[in-house]
Amino acid sequence: MKFKKSSKWLSLLLIVTLISLVFAGCATTEEDEDQYISVIAKGFQHQFWQVVKLGSEQAAIDLDVEIYFTGPEGESAISTQVDMLNAELAKDPLAICLAALSTESVLSQLQEAADKGIPVIGFDSGVPNAPAGQISANASTDNENAAGLGAEKMYEAIEAKVAAATVASPVTITVLSQDATSASVTGRTIGFTSRMYDLVVGAGLTASVTGDYAAANKGDAATSAVNITVVVGATPDITDMTNAATGVLSASNLLGVFLSNEGAVNGVLAALNAGSVLPEGVQVVGFDAGAGQKAAVSSGLFLGSITQDPFQIGYQAVALAVKAANGEAVADIDTGAKWYDASNMEEPDIAQLLYD
Amino acid sequence: MSNLLLTMKDIEKSFPGVHALKKCTFSLEKGEIHALVGENGAGKSTIMNILTGSIPYDSGDIFLEDKKAHFKSPKQAQEAGISMVHQELNLMDNLTVAQNIFIGRESDNIFLNDTSINKKTKELFEQLNFHIDPEEIVGNLSVSLQQIIEIAKAISHDAKIIVFDEPSATLTEKEINQLFKIMKELKKTGVSMIYISHRMNEIKRISDRVTIMRDGEYIGTLSSEKAKIEQIIQMMVGRVIYEERKKVSTVIEGQKPILCVKNFSSKDVNNVSFDLYKGEILGFAGLIGAGRTELARLIFGADKKTSGELFIHGKKVNINSPFHAVKQGIGYLSEDRKRYGLVLGMSVSNNIVLPKLTDYISGIFINESKIKEVTKEYIEKINIKTPSEKRLVKSLSGGNQQKVIIAKWLLKNCDILIFDEPTRGIDVGAKSEVYKLMNNLAKTGKSIIMISSELPELIRMSDRVLVMCEGTHTATLKLDDINQTTIMEYATQQ
Amino acid sequence: MFKLIKKGGMQKLFAFSALILIYLFFAFTGKNFTSSATTLNILASSYYVGFLALGATFVIISGGIDLSLGALMMASALIGGELYRDAGFPLWLCMVIMVLFATFVGLLNGLMVTKLKLPPFIATLGTMMGCLGFGSIITGTSSKYFPTILEPDGWFIRTFFKSANGVPLGAFYLLAFFIITFIILNKTKIGRYIFAIGNNEEAVRLSGIKVDLWKTLAYVISGLSVGIGSIFYAATYIVVIPNTGNGIELQAIAAVVIGGTSLAGGIGSLTGTMIGVFIMSVLKNGLISINLPAPYQVFFTGLVVIGAVLIDVYRNKRASKVKLK
Repeated sequence: MKFKKSSKWLSLLLIVTLISLVFAGCATTEEDEDQYISVIAKGFQHQFWQVVKLGSEQAAIDLDVEIYFTGPEGESAISTQVDMLNAELAKDPLAICLAALSTESVLSQLQEAADKGIPVIGFDSGVPNAPAGQISANASTDNENAAGLGAEKMYEAIEAKVAAATVASPVTITVLSQDATSASVTGRTIGFTSRMYDLVVGAGLTASVTGDYAAANKGDAATSAVNITVVVGATPDITDMTNAATGVLSASNLLGVFLSNEGAVNGVLAALNAGSVLPEGVQVVGFDAGAGQKAAVSSGLFLGSITQDPFQIGYQAVALAVKAANGEAVADIDTGAKWYDASNMEEPDIAQLLYD
Repeated sequence: MSNLLLTMKDIEKSFPGVHALKKCTFSLEKGEIHALVGENGAGKSTIMNILTGSIPYDSGDIFLEDKKAHFKSPKQAQEAGISMVHQELNLMDNLTVAQNIFIGRESDNIFLNDTSINKKTKELFEQLNFHIDPEEIVGNLSVSLQQIIEIAKAISHDAKIIVFDEPSATLTEKEINQLFKIMKELKKTGVSMIYISHRMNEIKRISDRVTIMRDGEYIGTLSSEKAKIEQIIQMMVGRVIYEERKKVSTVIEGQKPILCVKNFSSKDVNNVSFDLYKGEILGFAGLIGAGRTELARLIFGADKKTSGELFIHGKKVNINSPFHAVKQGIGYLSEDRKRYGLVLGMSVSNNIVLPKLTDYISGIFINESKIKEVTKEYIEKINIKTPSEKRLVKSLSGGNQQKVIIAKWLLKNCDILIFDEPTRGIDVGAKSEVYKLMNNLAKTGKSIIMISSELPELIRMSDRVLVMCEGTHTATLKLDDINQTTIMEYATQQ
Repeated sequence: MFKLIKKGGMQKLFAFSALILIYLFFAFTGKNFTSSATTLNILASSYYVGFLALGATFVIISGGIDLSLGALMMASALIGGELYRDAGFPLWLCMVIMVLFATFVGLLNGLMVTKLKLPPFIATLGTMMGCLGFGSIITGTSSKYFPTILEPDGWFIRTFFKSANGVPLGAFYLLAFFIITFIILNKTKIGRYIFAIGNNEEAVRLSGIKVDLWKTLAYVISGLSVGIGSIFYAATYIVVIPNTGNGIELQAIAAVVIGGTSLAGGIGSLTGTMIGVFIMSVLKNGLISINLPAPYQVFFTGLVVIGAVLIDVYRNKRASKVKLK
């Protein structure tokens, strides 16, 4: 008697579980008979990844493929991502797009994908230092190009003052960077300085690049009308960045400042809060889109900033994956960057890129 | 009698297996202090719990001021003016005196009003001619003051009848005097009181009348002033002794004691010494709370003693835990089999071999077939009624559960066995089997300490009886001196 | 069958049929679910939780609980990684130290519960936090890497995770560990005493048995299992991040409960625990195979746990009814 009563409970519970599984399953399985592309992100929480997802979904519609977008609950959930990757490999997708949380933890899986002939496309930061040949191509922001865009926008704003500069009364353009080691920051530093150098020289003036990042140096400051200097904080710590920013803002003949990432932006904002003054007419260009930076841009304090394009990251990753799956040759793609300033940052296609 | 406040007539109550009350009668007059006495298990608490609505009754009638009453819960009884002061205090240690007294009746709206209840509490104490700060935290007060708060709580319900369940058990002489003072004050205001107690002299001192119960039956009501203590005791224990008594002790005279307990003391035991001889059954008599179980647990190492020495075969031994006791050949059958004696969720065989499991290991594995063999042997030997040795112990009857524990200690080959209430809650047939078993064990040279609250069985089984009262050893009675009246005298001795 | 049910195997039966049903469901709806690759994944993602759950079963049967499992596993893996990468210890020695460390913490748990009389919940909550912090302190809050397949010590992965031709070796170790623990729990006096203590600790003490010793042993076994589990975690995921791992113990405890072990102690089985581990693993892989995102896995595991606990509660009620008789 007792058993009967309890078994009723059990079967009820079992049925509820299974029915809910069926419902949950139907939504995707019925239309999922075709092969598909698996997209494994680093996480879901940041708006950045939501926009990546939108981009990849748009690509799926445009290119008429199925995708399955997934990712662990957070950026420290390495084991979850590895389990997901294992499960995806078992499903034999056409291709896998992967933004790995850790390269070391997925090495055997990459080997397995190569053995099974499943192409792997890196996106966003991709799979850095992966063994040669195991990543077919990357869809990521080209930091040099992105920073070059910043140089162009700044040059437009200061063109007249630059033209008036002479060796006797030179002007200064400064790049403030958080470090001289990480690939993204050094890429941006190089990208900005070389583009600005080219623009100035192209206008018939003399220019030099000097400062804390030797690899960027060009020309001689003593014989140049436009001096481009690179300042790197003692450490990426906010106090050191603030000190560096204070120094940058007190330089004479300053025309423009390029801040190569959020850390540099925060250093400048902290220095201004602490009493430093942004000299009249100095144009500041930032990178990325934190809350403080967005406020500085919308208030006109900054000329504008560069943001990555997560929509394109997602879109191009899927596009590359489709090509690779079709056996076409694929190469790394620059997913581009967008300029935003007070005038356009409310526009929907820009606003969705301004993730915090 | 126009002065009659309460009448309980022909109250019947059965618990599974026990006929607790047999056509029981009780009556109470206005402004009377009425003592209720009887042995443990006589039915005093049962009838009072019925009166206060704590447990339902099977048949009979209760009249309160000539009106028929039937209380389905303590709250209903309280509303009708009947309150009970329990032996165990039901106070919340972290609340204040006033908060405790007015728990559940804090105020008429959702907001608390401590000022108002403090004032009411103060008035209450003034009426009792007692002074306790209403804002004192109850946990800081002595047990006796807490008892008084319980009483105040009962009175605050506008009680017409207050039942005191052995309040003096936890009180000192001075505190008892205070309690009696309060009771006399209350009596003047017309409150009737029922006073349950074992102490004869208290009954003479405070009560107007005394009702005696025995084996769930009403025996009689006497005027406290006129009744003699001997008369009351006789009425309490006066059942026909139908068990066959030992005529001569089988213990060989002049031998050395197998177990010698010297000056055992703890929180509940006060400097007890005794000897136990080979083949002897030594009864421990006393009322509940006399410290018999506590003494047994000290001997067995289950609790820590504050002082005392133990000698086995004349050799001093240190027993700090049951592990040591079992090693010395002492087995303990707890009064609460289910809590302390059995692993209910395990099989009969696993329970029987538990203390001796180490002997049934081959290599590192448990030798199940050997266990099966030996448990089957014991199941047969002491006649445990179970379909299989694999049956879970919890599905056996009380008597058979008790036999499983006995088998456990027999298998362990213990020389000294402590039987704590060995027949509690088991039926008559099983009882006599347990008696037979114990006598056989004694004959084969085992020594037995038997704790029992049932005097007749103690008298029937024991070679000697050690009587305790409130943790103190009051007498050791030889076979010829063992009788109910003597035991009760020593057990109620102040 | 009815006899089996009456003997308390009801929940094991439920868990087993649930496992079969869930598996069949995914076999029909999931993509490549019956493939060897997925089967391998089901086995692979149960390695470390499996070890933890087997050890936890001992503690839970003894009437205790061990909340330190997850954090302890990570702490011991971090210690191993630190010694391997930064102190240059040979890998085998690191593995030995990982197991010893976890066993030692298990012993600490046991002593706190038996000698200091701390409630197991509190004692192991303390060690859980302690382990989280300790792992961060010794590594300077940096991630630790175990050897990848590209390194000379790549045998580590090939031995404890998957062989070069894809044989799930970890599953064999788990099976071996299951057999050993099964024997300990069911065939030796350690197990018999642990069951008895979970049932009625005081009665066992009064039977003259050193309860503290056997209870401590349950925690030591749990710690040992965690230490072994940490090796398999490291081999499967390579990277160990400080200040993570709490939450894994709940997966292990969930598996134990799904498998029919009562949180009140005294009742339980390792077979059930293994079934519980595989139910969670099948769910995890199955939901991915029908293209459902990760949160669904957590959700459905939750349903299964509630179902299992319902049965536990129901069974306890029944048990207390019997007691009252």
